[in-house]
This record gives sequence, C-alpha cells and structure tokens, in this order.
Amino acid sequence: MIKPLLVALYEVRIYLRDRGDLAFSLLLPIVTFALMYGAFGGQDTFHGTAHVVNEDQGGAYSILLLERLEENDCLDVNLLSVQEANSKLDRADLLLILYIPHGFSDAVASGEQGQLVFKQRGNGGDEGQVVASIVRSVVDELAQEFQVHAQVSEALEGTGIGQEQIDVTVEQLIEEERQEPTVTVGEETLGGSADPVEAFLPTIVTMYVLFAITLTARVLVEERRRGTLERLLTTRIGVGQLFFGKFLAFCSRGFIQTLILLGLAYAVFQMFTPLSFIQALVIALVFIAAASGLGLLIASVARTEDQAVWIAVVFTMAMVLLGGTFFEIPEVGVMSVLSKISVNTYANDALKAVINEGSSLADVGMQLAVLAGVAVVALPLGRLLFKVLPGGR
Amino acid sequence: MLKPFLIAKNLHKSFNSRKAVDRVSFSIRKGEIFGLLGPNGAGKTTTIRILSTVLEPDRGDVIIGGYSIRRNPDAVRRLIGVCPQELALYEELSAIDNLVFFGRMVGLSGSEAKAQAVARLKLVGLTGRAKGRVDKFSGGMKRRVNLAVSLMGHPKLLFMDEPTVGIDPQSRNRIYRTIERLRDRGMTILYTTHYMEEANRLCDRVAIIDAGRIIAMDTPLALRSRIGPPEQVTLEDVFLKLTGRRLRD
Repeated sequence: MIKPLLVALYEVRIYLRDRGDLAFSLLLPIVTFALMYGAFGGQDTFHGTAHVVNEDQGGAYSILLLERLEENDCLDVNLLSVQEANSKLDRADLLLILYIPHGFSDAVASGEQGQLVFKQRGNGGDEGQVVASIVRSVVDELAQEFQVHAQVSEALEGTGIGQEQIDVTVEQLIEEERQEPTVTVGEETLGGSADPVEAFLPTIVTMYVLFAITLTARVLVEERRRGTLERLLTTRIGVGQLFFGKFLAFCSRGFIQTLILLGLAYAVFQMFTPLSFIQALVIALVFIAAASGLGLLIASVARTEDQAVWIAVVFTMAMVLLGGTFFEIPEVGVMSVLSKISVNTYANDALKAVINEGSSLADVGMQLAVLAGVAVVALPLGRLLFKVLPGGR
Repeated sequence: MLKPFLIAKNLHKSFNSRKAVDRVSFSIRKGEIFGLLGPNGAGKTTTIRILSTVLEPDRGDVIIGGYSIRRNPDAVRRLIGVCPQELALYEELSAIDNLVFFGRMVGLSGSEAKAQAVARLKLVGLTGRAKGRVDKFSGGMKRRVNLAVSLMGHPKLLFMDEPTVGIDPQSRNRIYRTIERLRDRGMTILYTTHYMEEANRLCDRVAIIDAGRIIAMDTPLALRSRIGPPEQVTLEDVFLKLTGRRLRD
C-alpha cells in the first residue's frame, strides 16, 4: 500500500512544483466562479433605485411612504432636490422620478385624495417601469391601510373608544396580516431551480471534474515520453500499484479544485448549509474517483499524447452533452435513455438533489453507487487493457 | 573462473515480423563489465529491455542471479538497476527527490533511501546540487543523476544503455570514474555505447551485435588482434570491418 501512496505523493509534488500548472489549475475554478458570479450574481431578483423628490417635507404620510419604499428588498431610495431632479430629467440622466407634492400628508390626513406624480422621459425606461410598478403597489397597500383606518374609525365613532386605541389596534392587525397574509402566491419553476447559480453550479462542478479526465488520460503517455514508465517497470512497484497511485493523485488534485469551487459558492452565494456542503463534497469526491478511473482507462489505451487528448475530449463532450449540463434532458424518450450512459447524469442528479432539494446522501444512494461502481470497474479494466495491448505489461 | 551472473539463452524478439533480437546468447561473469556494441537499430536496447524484464522475449530465457526473467521477474528486479538511454527523471523534482522516489520504488525505507541518495549524489559529484531542480541542470548533470538513480538499492547487475551520449568530456570522465569505482566494488555491468574508445577503456569483454544477432564476442584486445596488430588497430576498425560502412538510419 505504501508504494501507491508514494506515487500519489510524488505526483502531487510534481503538480505543486509546476507553478504554471498549479496557477492554472487553481485559478481555473476561481475564474469559472467569477464568470458565474458575473453572469448570475445578484440578478436572480430585480433590484432598482427609486429616485424621489419629497416636497412634502415633514409630512407624516410622505415619511411613511418613504419608509415603506426603503423596506422593499428590491428598491433603494435616492432623495433628490427639485432642481437636481429637473436637471437630471432634462439631461436624460434619469428617466423616471417620483414627486411627492406639497400638502400630500395633509390631504391624506383630511381624507382627501393624495396625489403622487411620476415625471418621466418617454416610457421611463425598463428599470423605471419596474420601479414605478413597485411604487404603485406600495402606494396601493398604504392607501388600503388608510382606508381601513378611516372605515374602522368611522364604524367605532361614538362608542367611546379613543382614536389612539383604534389606531394602535388597527395597526396591529395590519402588521399581523403583513406577517402572515391570508393569501400567498407561490412559485413553481419548471426544469429545476429558478436561481441560475443553483441551477448551473452542480453541472459546472461535474463538467469541470470531467475535463480533468484529459489530464489523467495523458499521465501514462507522459511517463512513457519521459522514460520514467520503463524505469518504474524495472523496479519493484507493480503496474497495479502504479495505476492505483496515479488514481489517488488525480483524485487528490480534482478534490482540491472542486473544494475551491464549492467553497467559493458556499462563501459568496451562501447556497449551502454546513451539512449540504459536506454532502456535496462527498458526491464530488465519488464522481472524481469515477472520472479518474475513466481517465486511467483512456490512458491505458492511448499510446501518444494526441490520442490521449482526443479520446478524452470526445468522451468528455459526449458525457457533458448527455449529462444535461447545458440543457434539461427530458424525462422520457431517446435522450432520457441515452443520458443514462453518462456519468454526469448521476453526478448532476445527486448534486442537484443535495444542493437544491435538501436531499441526504441516502436519498442519492443509487447515483453514488453507480459512480463508485464506475471507479471500481474502470481501474482494473484499465490495468487489464494496459497488460494486453501492445507495448504494455 | 567466476560463475556467470547473467546467462542469456537463445533470445528472440520480433516486432511486426521484423526480427529485433535473433538467437542472442551470451553470459556475463560476476564483477565483469560487458560491452554490447552495435550500429543504430542493431538490437542493443531491445536486448537490454528484455534483460531488465520490461519486454518478454518471444523465445529464450535469461537467468540473472539464478532467477529466470520469465518465471521470477520480481526476484530479478531486486538484483538489477537500469540506467536507460533516455533521461528517465522527473525534471520538476530535485535531484535528491528523484533518487529518494526511485529508492522507495526499489523497496528501500525512507531513511535508507535518503542515506543512499546522499551517497549516490556524492559518487556522481552532485552533492552541492542535491536540492536543485533537474530541469535546471545541464545535460551532463542530468546524465549523472540518471546514473545515480540506477544505483539506488545496491543493484548487483547494472544495465547502462549509452550513458554518456551528448555530454561534455568532464561529465563523461566523471561517469567513467564512477563506473570504474563500481567495478572495483564488484558490480556486474552490461554497457552499451557507440564510442569505441569508451568500450576499449571500460569493458572486460564486448559483444558486437548487428541486425539482432551477435556477430563477435571477445575481449577488446582479442577482437583487435583479429584484424591486425592490436597496438595499430582500434576497436572502431574492428567494428566497421564486422558491421560494414553502410548507414543504418
């Protein structure tokens, strides 16, 4: 057992000594992650700025309106003076501004209609239209609350209950309704998670691991080219031990890279619990073992670097496409059947279940068993092919 | 007379119907330096690959230290060291790391491997560069590391396949001195080279191989005597007379 561990240790040392290779392989997951973040980070829900001119300075209802707008997760509020607002509208720096006019609070307090104004250039722009829509819904909600206050006060007029008590009770009821609304609207996204990061992270991780097959596939060719394979064959290490050592080395290397990718996802997107993070790492490790086994299988067949790379690339692309990395595989039909031969399918399914659905490792036992089976079969099969093919031993 | 340490019996090896090794038989006595000379493609490297258990012969057998390469290759591997023609090193690692790694692969413990690595680097004159990365070394230094690696594990029989190709006279001289010291310690060596003066200087006996067959085998002096007064004839004269002047590649 010591010799495979030594082979793995020295392989990892060679990897760590090659600064170019090291930098590339460690930066690659970080760059991949940065691209994901750039593409998807923070864009799963709308976020805009409501530009507001408040001419109703000190008015209770205008303050309340601004507070409600600021409470909205989708909005930032930017207060402007009248001059600033007009200037920015004139220069088209801003396309839509909300004006709260003088006397707005007084009007509302007296039961008259309070009038807010949107000043806009053209249609107000895409963001402006969404902001206007959110502002309208906040205003509608406030208006309904004012109405409830007014109607309850009117209904209880003459009962001897003080106005303050009525206001507090009504406010309490409204707050309860806001916390636990009578009617809610759920979201059901077809074809996986609505969050692009959650949807793509598992497939990017598996695709990434699978690309490492190309590196593994070259390992024996490189040993041949350097002459170290032949030298090793004259020592007391068995070919099986050599295979197992290389297998351990590539599992370690793949695990380090995956740890970086998943770790960044954990830190930046907060998409894991500690348990689901460990579960995702376990799945990734089993998948890395399967991918390393397949890489060594290709390595045992390839006799030149070109052969190794091309076989690995064709194999990898087939696995990625059939594994549903770029598009959802339908649950029935030919593609569904074909997808079953891709190791990515099992890894993607297991990772998605753990990351997106909160499943446990036991729930994805079948997928893990298939991946472990691939690793267990690929390694001795590679050893056998290395023995029977010309130039092997 | 010393007992043969290596006995090669009627070796055959073909690649796609081309005979690379054809009815090769010879023996090497313990402590002897045996030269295997031949033009490019004559079958020298294939013969070494068979002797060092990398290739299995189509026919024939080799007995090394009493063990058959066919029946007991693992036991044979405990007795041999191979200094291949190519620089079979991990160039990203230091010289000492290479030696320790291959030392562990031949079955040494960590401390034994380290101790032997230090001693072997001293033997080849690389003590001061033990921790230097091999890819920063000159060709001669790499050749010396290549030789040092092959000495890990105290092999009884060393195969050296053109160990002085492409290096400067200083490094070549250092390798000669190392080989002579190994001979003084009783190591048996099979040596292939294209440099006839090298074979003349180092080898106790030489075999000339051409087209996979051994065409002459004797001491350098006896071979030179075959074609004229030995003091006027070089081994290269003998070699060219026996193998001809036709280019081989």
